[in-house]
Amino acid sequence: MISRKAAEIGLASVTALFGTVIAYGATEFGVGWAPSGPEPGTFPFYIGLIVLVASLANMVAALVAGDGTPLLERSHLKDVARFVVPMIGFVILALLLGIYVATFVYLLGTMRVQGRYGWGRSIAVSLGLPLGLYALMEKAFQVPLLKGPLEALIGL
Amino acid sequence: MDNLASLFHGFSVALSFHHIFLMLVGILLGILVGVLPGLGAPNGVSLLLPLTFTMDPVAAIILLTSMYWGALFGGSTTSILFNIPGEPSSVATTFDGYPLAQKGKATEALSYAFLSAGFGALVGVIVITLLSGVVQKFALRFSAPEYFAVYFLAFCSFIGLGGAPVLKTVVSIGCGFALAAVGMDSVSGSLRLTFEFDALLAGISFLVVVIGLFGIGELILTVEEGLQLKGIEARVRPSDVLRTMAMMPRHWATLLRSALVGCWMGITPGGPTAASFMSYGLARRFSKYRQGFGKGEPDGIIAPETADHSAGTAAMLPMLALGIPGSATAAVMLGGLMIWGLNPGPMLFVERPDFVWGLIASMYLGNVIGVILVLATVPMFASILRIPFAIIGPAIVVICFVGAYTVGSRPFDLWVALGFGFVGYLFKKLNYPIAPLILAMVIGDKAEDAFRQSLIMSKGALSVFWSNALVGTLMALALLLLVWPVAARVLFGGGRSSAP
Amino acid sequence: MKTLTALTATFAALVVAAPAHAWQPSKPIEFVVTSSPGGGTDNFARMIQSVIAKHNLISQSIVVVNKGGGSGAEGFLTVKTAAGDAHKVIFGTNNAYLLPYVAKLGYKFSDMTPVAALALDEFLLWVKNDAPYKSAKEYIEAVKAKPDTFKMAGSQSKDTDQTLTSMLSASTGAKFIYVPFQGGGAVGTQLAGGHVDSHTNNPNESIGQWKAEQVRPLCVFSPTRLASTTKVTATMGWSDIPTCKEQGLPVERFQMPRTVWLPDGVPADAVTYYADILKKVSETPEWKEYIARTVQTGQFLAGDAFKAFIANDDKNSRAVFEREGWIVK
Repeated sequence: MISRKAAEIGLASVTALFGTVIAYGATEFGVGWAPSGPEPGTFPFYIGLIVLVASLANMVAALVAGDGTPLLERSHLKDVARFVVPMIGFVILALLLGIYVATFVYLLGTMRVQGRYGWGRSIAVSLGLPLGLYALMEKAFQVPLLKGPLEALIGL
Repeated sequence: MDNLASLFHGFSVALSFHHIFLMLVGILLGILVGVLPGLGAPNGVSLLLPLTFTMDPVAAIILLTSMYWGALFGGSTTSILFNIPGEPSSVATTFDGYPLAQKGKATEALSYAFLSAGFGALVGVIVITLLSGVVQKFALRFSAPEYFAVYFLAFCSFIGLGGAPVLKTVVSIGCGFALAAVGMDSVSGSLRLTFEFDALLAGISFLVVVIGLFGIGELILTVEEGLQLKGIEARVRPSDVLRTMAMMPRHWATLLRSALVGCWMGITPGGPTAASFMSYGLARRFSKYRQGFGKGEPDGIIAPETADHSAGTAAMLPMLALGIPGSATAAVMLGGLMIWGLNPGPMLFVERPDFVWGLIASMYLGNVIGVILVLATVPMFASILRIPFAIIGPAIVVICFVGAYTVGSRPFDLWVALGFGFVGYLFKKLNYPIAPLILAMVIGDKAEDAFRQSLIMSKGALSVFWSNALVGTLMALALLLLVWPVAARVLFGGGRSSAP
Repeated sequence: MKTLTALTATFAALVVAAPAHAWQPSKPIEFVVTSSPGGGTDNFARMIQSVIAKHNLISQSIVVVNKGGGSGAEGFLTVKTAAGDAHKVIFGTNNAYLLPYVAKLGYKFSDMTPVAALALDEFLLWVKNDAPYKSAKEYIEAVKAKPDTFKMAGSQSKDTDQTLTSMLSASTGAKFIYVPFQGGGAVGTQLAGGHVDSHTNNPNESIGQWKAEQVRPLCVFSPTRLASTTKVTATMGWSDIPTCKEQGLPVERFQMPRTVWLPDGVPADAVTYYADILKKVSETPEWKEYIARTVQTGQFLAGDAFKAFIANDDKNSRAVFEREGWIVK
């Protein structure tokens, strides 16, 4: 089980890393003070440093006084995973097959497996949303969404 | 009183069947665009723009501005009901709007939002009506140092001693500033912090981050807390609306202060989003019920909404009179003006009074119609919440990602939204404040640009920020607001405040 | 009704275009705009879109997508991801071929197929209305007398305004402090408010302030005077503005082309297809009105003429970039 303390330390290391990357990336553009004001890298460099220092302080605080209670109850973790894993699947699918197809698969899957709806209702909803999105986005607002090989096949 | 006579003339222009019909269409389309996260007012207005090339300019601007009002109203609806801001400027509305709705008072929350929005817009139009000449001259006094001071003031009035741990707040602000710095640096013309990834070239979109932090993050939290969008009273009882209306006068101080903040930020132009944050920060600071902020305090809804709408409205003035856009949407409309053959500038008021005053009159009408229409759509949106989570949860996921994609048609933004969804969830679980990150992202690069422009102009002398009475006053006021909570604690002992 | 319109559209397109070309669009076309909504390039592309729609010049529908990130580099990168796809048309200025010099980008100029330029946007030297300078020469002399005190405002960095300022400095010896702002509107207000001393806005960006007699133009960076004869103020119109050459400034010509591109590897037929459509667009009354209204110079360039223009502009700008040390890598 992930304890609150571990999560604090984990998040603080992520923000510390982020601060380091920003500060490092900024050095490319000069981090000094030119005659006409700060150089392009100055501001991000010091921001990166501040984030790094504050993150390290947060990390120390968690190490010293972090509480060991779990961040998530086991049952809650399962609920979250059941929601998050298909969502990640949806994003990957959307990038591979386009948003419309991914929406269909994702909704059909979650409704059938997690909602335990019948085939009829599941298919109706999971077809209805992408079609509605298509009508609204591409036709009414003329905003193209990400498309995949299927749309290319039928010439959209 | 010339202006009043012109206004009556404006009403005679705006009050035609054709124009009122366009207002209705514009507002309804706007509500739709506003409700969808990602697809915001600037997108909506630019999509309608080609349609207006063949229209008469008065009709065209009425259609476009009505869409803008509609989007501003629609954006608050989803902020309050789902904690997903439909528009960037309605982020601050989520702080107290969503908690109030969760207490089963969705109708009150929405009514507070729309009524104060209507009030804010009205004050904005009145300012334009009465003070257009003065404001034009005033706005011309603004240069880079004054711009920086305006952003600094907005920042200082929001960031104070919050309830969140100081170091976590610092991390949050720092991340916001760092994210804002990614992409093209307009002062030096070089690409910063992109690490040669093409996907980072356009920077990290603030809207996509908001969709992730609020939309996705909130959904994960909801799932953890029991798989439901919690009990929200879905019906709109007219009696509730009336009762809220009767409560409004009690909040006169917040209403007036927020409207002034809004007008100020719309004209200077800090923009509606920064205005709503600043106004929220000030309301919290001056409220007797500081403890209630973030938990569904009506003042916490009234402040950002009033400021948002008065800023959006007041931003029309610098657009028309000076050709500088006070908001992203105003920038699109500015493009429209030029295509219709109108030249923004002080002479527009003299040469095309029909257009200017017809527009101003339509702003009065449009906002009244807007409040009524948006209240009418509430039951429809609220009824969505009765759909079981197994359907509506994934559907909201899809809409969030569709929204993230429409911001810039970038596939990479799907990852950004997902990543910030986890960040938002963890931030909330571990008591990191999110609002300072958003505010830092909104004003970060603008403030940095203004700071560096000032120093280029002054050849590196920092004294430029105290070089005249205007900028000096702004800076002093900002510093005062920044140290006030500390000073108050030292002087009076026992600071009481809470963060959103 | 809808089918009828569609049929008419298809029919019209067939009649107009079919005999001449082998290539026809087979799906909706995307106009990629390399500026944010409301920018000059955005207006340019949306104007073309509306003219095409009004005259039914293309049978397929057209969607406009704004990709203005990284000063437009984001939009030009489309040529990489959509190589060979003639259904993506990219709209820009000379930044199409100049951006890769000043920023490390994932595309090269050779990745793009030039289609056409439809207009040239003009640059003028503006000062505040109550400034004491009667002519451009006088102003430049004043700047030379006090180097590094006069502020020249412009849009963005390492872009057209700064390039022009650099050319002016190099050829006359007048040293300015260049201050970059977000766009032409902000630049105009800075001058009207007296915070800077001059700028080089396009006519369209400063017409309102000229009308209100807050600012006035000293000269235009064009070989000939502007065509529009309508009076802007009581006494002056665009054609009354002297050219900078007349005023004795050594920078004779500086204009920004409004350009249209396709990705690399598209069929040659497709290039001619779009060039022909754009040529037709440039001949419509709506287009001529747009050009007149925005005080640009209408000039249709395609094929070799366009390539020659690019080569020349590229050479001049590159010289400036090298002198200023802006070139990356």
